[in-house]
Order: sequence, then structure tokens, then C-alpha cells
Amino acid sequence: MMELEALQEIHSQVSGLGAQIVVLTPELERYTRALHNKLNLTYDILTDLHLTTAEEFRLVFVLPDYLRDLYKSFGKTLDRFHDEREYRLPMPARYVIDMEGIIRAAGVNADYTIRPEPSEIVRQLRALTIRLGHTGDSIRGGKQSGECHANTSR
Amino acid sequence: MAGLQERLDEFKKAFESGAPPYNAPHEAIERMHRATAELKASGLENGALKVGDRAPSFTLFNQDHVPVASTDLLREGPLVVSFFRGHW
Repeated sequence: MMELEALQEIHSQVSGLGAQIVVLTPELERYTRALHNKLNLTYDILTDLHLTTAEEFRLVFVLPDYLRDLYKSFGKTLDRFHDEREYRLPMPARYVIDMEGIIRAAGVNADYTIRPEPSEIVRQLRALTIRLGHTGDSIRGGKQSGECHANTSR
Repeated sequence: MAGLQERLDEFKKAFESGAPPYNAPHEAIERMHRATAELKASGLENGALKVGDRAPSFTLFNQDHVPVASTDLLREGPLVVSFFRGHW
């Protein structure tokens, strides 16, 4: 939730740079609709049903039983919210993808209490769009990947 | 406005104190720490897609049941994709 609010705070800056934000969650649409309304979001929340896309980004893990039991005891049942009987979840992750479909920045952390700052996104997008402006060409993948941070190896 | 991590840290501190409004039992917090440590140790985060990789394309329903295709969005500009585990 705090992360969704933080993304909302940078949304106009992101739009100003010609980019868009989408949030992917395994939650069913009735919950994304409620959340979208509650937080007055101006970007879309997409339902990644059964974590199909998260799997392709290789972010999915299974909650260990001792945590599953704990969550169930709190009423946080993923069968209900995600139609997810196996109690799988995505690791929190954030990607900046260029117009060629290449990942130009990635922040992935197995510790869900640690998230990259949204202000980083603005910086990363600025780096992308400045290059776009200079070259007059869309961004080619791979070659300049060192210019954006990958937070994956903390 | 405080940064996101600062806000998260504040929440974590309040939650793990065991005090109201969360009243989290010590044993529950231990389990959460154990799970995070195990996931970290599994190395899963190192296998996730990274800088330079091609992003998988997707078409998914938004909150208004409108299908949204990543290829359409990318025609207009760069795309920020954030994975969120859920509001619960």
C-alpha cells in the first residue's frame, strides 16, 4: 500500500517523461478495483492471475507452511484474495523497460520490507529519455545496461 | 515527504514492537524473519530477470476489467512495471 502511494506521488513526473506505470498483482479484480478507488490511483493495477507473468519474470516463490498457517490465522487467506491454493507470491520487484522491450533497470529483493525508492525510477527514466532525445533513435537493448542500477545483488 | 523506505522502516518498527495497534506476537515476527532469511538464502532473487534481459510481454485485465497489453504501452514510451503481492 505504501508502495502504491509512493508510486502515485511520482506518477505525474513519470507521465511527463512520456512513460507509464503499471502495477501487477496476483489479487483478483474485485480487490484491485477497491484498492484503486481507495487510493485514488491514476495508473492501472493489473491482475496477474495465478502469477503467470510473475513466473516469466522469475519472481515466484511458495510461502513456507509455517508462514501460510500464520497468515491463515490472521485471515489473510490467499485462496480468497488470489485464488491461489499453493500460496505462491511474487517477490517485490520493479522494472524499467525501454521501448524495445529491454529491461533497463531492475530492483528485486527477497526481503519484502526493502523497496527501491520511486525517485530512482524518475532518475532512471530521465537517463533513458535523454538518450532518446540525443540519438533520435529508440533505445537499443543490452549495450548500455551499466548505466542503470540493478539492485539485485545486495 | 519521507522516502518510501523510511516509511516502510517506520511501519516495521511499529509492527515488530508488538504494541497496539498491530499487537504482533513475538512468535509471529520470528516466523516472518525466518521465512525472509530462507528466501534470501535460496538465491531466488539472483535468478529473476535483470538489466539487459528482454521483458516478457503480457496482456492482463486492469481494475475496470479492460485488457491492457504491454506491447501497446511500449509503443507510447518506456514502461515501469512494479510487482505487488497484495493489499492484505
